[in-house]
Amino acid sequence: MIDLGVFLTLLALGYGFGRYAELKHYKSIIQREKELNILPAIAARTPPMISKACDCNLVTGNVVISVDYFKRFISVLRNIVGGRITSYETLIDRARREAILRMKQQAHEMGAKQVFNIKFETASIYKGKRQQVGSVEVLAYGTAIIPSQGG
Amino acid sequence: MGPLSFPAREDSKLEYSNPEIPEGINTSKTHPLKEFLWLTGGVMAAIFALVLILILFADVITSYIPFSVEQNITFSGVEASTEEGPLPEYLQSLADRIVRAEDLPEDMKITIHYLDDETVNAFATLGGHIFFFRGLLEKLPNENALAMLMAHEIAHIKHRHPIRSLGRGVIVGLALSVISTAAGDAIIESFLGKTGYLTILKYNRDMESQADETAIQALNSIYGHLGGADELFKILKEEAGRLEPPVFFSTHPLTENRLYEIKIHTEKHPAHDVTDITPLPQEFEKWVEEKEEEKTISL
Amino acid sequence: MMITNIEIVPGKRITKHMGLVQGSSVRAKHVGRDIMAGLKNIFGGELKGYTELLQDSREEAVKRMVAQAEAVGANAVLNVRFSTSSIAAGAAELFAYGTAVTLEDM
Repeated sequence: MIDLGVFLTLLALGYGFGRYAELKHYKSIIQREKELNILPAIAARTPPMISKACDCNLVTGNVVISVDYFKRFISVLRNIVGGRITSYETLIDRARREAILRMKQQAHEMGAKQVFNIKFETASIYKGKRQQVGSVEVLAYGTAIIPSQGG
Repeated sequence: MGPLSFPAREDSKLEYSNPEIPEGINTSKTHPLKEFLWLTGGVMAAIFALVLILILFADVITSYIPFSVEQNITFSGVEASTEEGPLPEYLQSLADRIVRAEDLPEDMKITIHYLDDETVNAFATLGGHIFFFRGLLEKLPNENALAMLMAHEIAHIKHRHPIRSLGRGVIVGLALSVISTAAGDAIIESFLGKTGYLTILKYNRDMESQADETAIQALNSIYGHLGGADELFKILKEEAGRLEPPVFFSTHPLTENRLYEIKIHTEKHPAHDVTDITPLPQEFEKWVEEKEEEKTISL
Repeated sequence: MMITNIEIVPGKRITKHMGLVQGSSVRAKHVGRDIMAGLKNIFGGELKGYTELLQDSREEAVKRMVAQAEAVGANAVLNVRFSTSSIAAGAAELFAYGTAVTLEDM
């Protein structure tokens, strides 16, 4: 009985806070994506071959986003049934976009005009004896092309 | 890959644009709560169904185990508790009457044990052994209530409930632990365990109701009425107090419902007056009291 | 020192390749952070402690890679890649590697 109460409370907390955090995060992501839209992020390996000298700099952005109790519960049930784990789709989507935004922000502060050769690195972080802690890290990195001073 | 040479053309005409990509391509639109309801409902229904099948399976298996096998499972200390004396003899003689009334098969031998302990309880276990705690015997006001209690426990033996519960517990427990290990998460383990446990409880309650029903019939055939039998449940109700959990989480049916069943039967076969109710032997209280000084039985 | 993950730098020419340089860093966060992370696992949201930890470790890995490049006399590291692996419960290795070169203006 008490177990059930604890379980339902955790589930409700996870759902309430997790959903609030997610909606808030998406709002902020969409807004910042608009702001940084002036800075193209390009997955091409080579920058345009301009003969003008320019600076290159490695820029990175990373974020660790945690699952919540509700998402985790859904995912473990999905594990039995099989199929699309919708609760983790938004999690990883948020992490990727946030990482890109942080990388772009860094590039923007350097005065870059484009970011080239974008790569992602995704790692799941588990901790604890029974993997109680579950989260995902996304790192985005690329090369910021900064026009040389006076160029 | 070609040589590391620069392309000949200047890229001044190359344009880098950054169009906005519409939302919701990489994510699903299903509302999380909807998903949650579908999943929990589905998985719980599946577990209920699975446990139900396993219980039926366990019942088939245990029905092939002859009663003599149960009897061969000996408990250390059990033999020592069947001593001579007025109380065991009285209890055993009452048990023999009920055995005849419930029409038990020849090979089902009922052995009555008495446990010197405060616990207000009694239980039947493998091999036809029935245990009564002093705490409950002390509280019984008449023979009819004692007979109801004993008939209930003997009915468990008659329907072979102890071995069936054991079989169900082992098979369902094994299956659920295999599934939860495969799912591999602490959350799911407790979720599956709880769902399975609740299903087992449901069938436990069915067993108790079945035992009550048999006991009521036996009492009717012995005494011709059911007067006094409800005293037993009144005691149990008092003991549980107001803390009786909701029926889903209980091993036994609600005492209210059990009293109601008795009431319905009593209306059909009423006791004519108070004298119809058989009192306990005069020395019964003394026998129970005396026992306190004797050795306790360790199981 | 120029660090980049592209292979050809506009307006510059590679004059010498110095081979692979690498840097790595293995770190763990103190248990307090882990407890916070455990709580966050109920509510969801960003684990700022872990984000910082991984960022710091990566910076250290890059610093070590740069130190290697400087030791061999390079002035740029091209084609830098990152790699993350958990080597034990609660410890993560952050790894950076690239090609050390000398660049000069065209």
